[in-house]
Amino acid sequence: MRPMVVAITLLWLLGFGTAAANEPRPIVDAHIHYSDDTWSVVPPPEAIKVLRQAGVKKAFVSSSSDDGTQMLRKVAPDLIVPVLRPYRRRGEIGTWVRDPTIVPHVEARLKVNTYAGIGEFHVFGADADLPVMRRLVELAKERKIFLHAHSDADAVERIFRQDPDARVLWAHSGFDQPDNVRAMLAKHKRLWADLAFRNDYAPSAKLDASWRQLMLDFPDRFMVGTDTPSPERWYYVVEHASFSRKWLADLPADVADNIAFRNAELLAAWALGQ
Amino acid sequence: MKQRVLPSAVAALMLAGAAVLAAGPEQAVTFSADERAAILAHGPWPPPRHPDPSNRVSGNRDAISLGRRLFFDTRLSLDGRQSCATCHDPATAFADGKPRGIGRALVDRNAIALANLGLNRWFGWAGAADSLWAQSIHPIVDVKELGLTAEQLRDRLAAAPAIAAAYTHLFQAAVAHDAAERVLVNAAKALAAFQETIVTGRTPFDDFRDALERSDTRSMAHYPRPAQRGLAIFVGKGNCTACHFGPNFTSGEFEDVGVPHFAEQGRVDAGRHGGIAALRASPFNLLSPYSDNADKAAGVPTRHVEQQHRNWGEFRVPSLRNVARTAPYMHNGSLATLQDVVRHYSELNEERLHGHAGRRLLRPLRLTPQEAADLVAFLETLSGEISFGP
Repeated sequence: MRPMVVAITLLWLLGFGTAAANEPRPIVDAHIHYSDDTWSVVPPPEAIKVLRQAGVKKAFVSSSSDDGTQMLRKVAPDLIVPVLRPYRRRGEIGTWVRDPTIVPHVEARLKVNTYAGIGEFHVFGADADLPVMRRLVELAKERKIFLHAHSDADAVERIFRQDPDARVLWAHSGFDQPDNVRAMLAKHKRLWADLAFRNDYAPSAKLDASWRQLMLDFPDRFMVGTDTPSPERWYYVVEHASFSRKWLADLPADVADNIAFRNAELLAAWALGQ
Repeated sequence: MKQRVLPSAVAALMLAGAAVLAAGPEQAVTFSADERAAILAHGPWPPPRHPDPSNRVSGNRDAISLGRRLFFDTRLSLDGRQSCATCHDPATAFADGKPRGIGRALVDRNAIALANLGLNRWFGWAGAADSLWAQSIHPIVDVKELGLTAEQLRDRLAAAPAIAAAYTHLFQAAVAHDAAERVLVNAAKALAAFQETIVTGRTPFDDFRDALERSDTRSMAHYPRPAQRGLAIFVGKGNCTACHFGPNFTSGEFEDVGVPHFAEQGRVDAGRHGGIAALRASPFNLLSPYSDNADKAAGVPTRHVEQQHRNWGEFRVPSLRNVARTAPYMHNGSLATLQDVVRHYSELNEERLHGHAGRRLLRPLRLTPQEAADLVAFLETLSGEISFGP
């Protein structure tokens, strides 16, 4: 046994033991869409291949229609965290919140499939108090799943007024300024923020000082995401993951891991009862 | 003597406009103060033109002459069958009328029409060059376009006595003994000097715009009513001026307007995102020793331009001057007619767009057939006579 132990130790010292450390940092991409115009040009196996090439260990996927998410989940259940987008097709982004037929659609989907959340939906200001949005908040509460909201701070506040215990993933961190994001995170303990489709926090993949401090102060609240509203943007997922790894390297390793994957994994595990 | 190309479409339109007026009075188009200001901002035309500080032969008559000779010379292609004019033909408004350019092979993008280039800040559909001379290098060395190496270009120019003499006169160096890369840059600078002379003249719109500024209603009445209604949509409901503003009808920047940008199955044309990467890596950008701008001030935008996520799939906002003459449209020539372009914006798939920091610049215009026709009528009045030197 002893020679083997020595050999293993030597191998480790020679660098084999650091192989894991040299692996690209895993990513959970918290903002992916697989909508109907993507299915034929980036078929499910190709989409899954892209995610794996990017080193994505899980992806929060919501799609117009939800059939896209289900297709991906069928191919790679280990990879796909399904999130139910309320849109049945392209073109409902600006009308859904005033369309009462959205509610039975969402209810029906929730009955037959498993989801970690409802979203990503677009709602702003007082529209978050409209009946359709209120029902989505109720459904999320009933199902113990999160809401992925592309919203301004006002709409997020209204969601929390409807359900103070709601868990909200704030898409794009509301495209808001770091001071406002800080105020929202401080006020709402169950608010997470994804960083998709914005560069201001890390211009040229170098963390901005105010955002860096924000991440250090709220290390368990941020997530990364590419956002793939068009088929072509699927081919940006790999580059986006590289971009994320670059700026994440400017943070302490545990904080970087939180933002890269752990925060999203924990939210998904809570929602999926794991 | 400058050469001129008369756009028959303009003449036809003016006749059409006259016919409308002759047919009887239509409801007058009135413009609000904001619309009037937006219209006036599209002029005056022509604007003042300035030499390129990064190109020491910009505006030089001998350089223009050499550049013109090179522009039409098939010696610039590997197999001696193509020239710059193959894809940028004066007979088709310095474009080629094809969806995607065909040099030595099919390229990914539409051959952009060459005119009023001195007004540009970035060049090409993706802005991969920050000067007209740097942009002019690309097709010479691109294997799908002209396909020469710098050494081959030098040898070919040296073997052409008239060109070699013009080069020596202009650049004070014998082409055969100059460094190949230097010859490439100098040839491109001469090509740029020529291309800067390709300009479009005044249009029916410019006459209307100036009449509006003078409050000359009599002259304004010569502008066809459909075009007036289309102009009202352009500056109003259409919000077209958000991107197509100023005398050259362009921001000079890049936008994602929802045009699919797969170059082929499984391969995406990254547009401005790739353009910025290419620009920063280019040995010929305005921060390079090849820029004749001694303090490199012209390169300040290049130093600071950064890749952003939104740049993925953004392409040049093209000038709309002479747009009726430069079909097909968009970066890949995927829309055949102006009617198709207007339909694209009318029925836009906004869910595939993300806009700027979440603010949506574009929304489906939902134009009526009459409105769409009026908008096209307006765009057709942006055609003017093309001239080029020397």
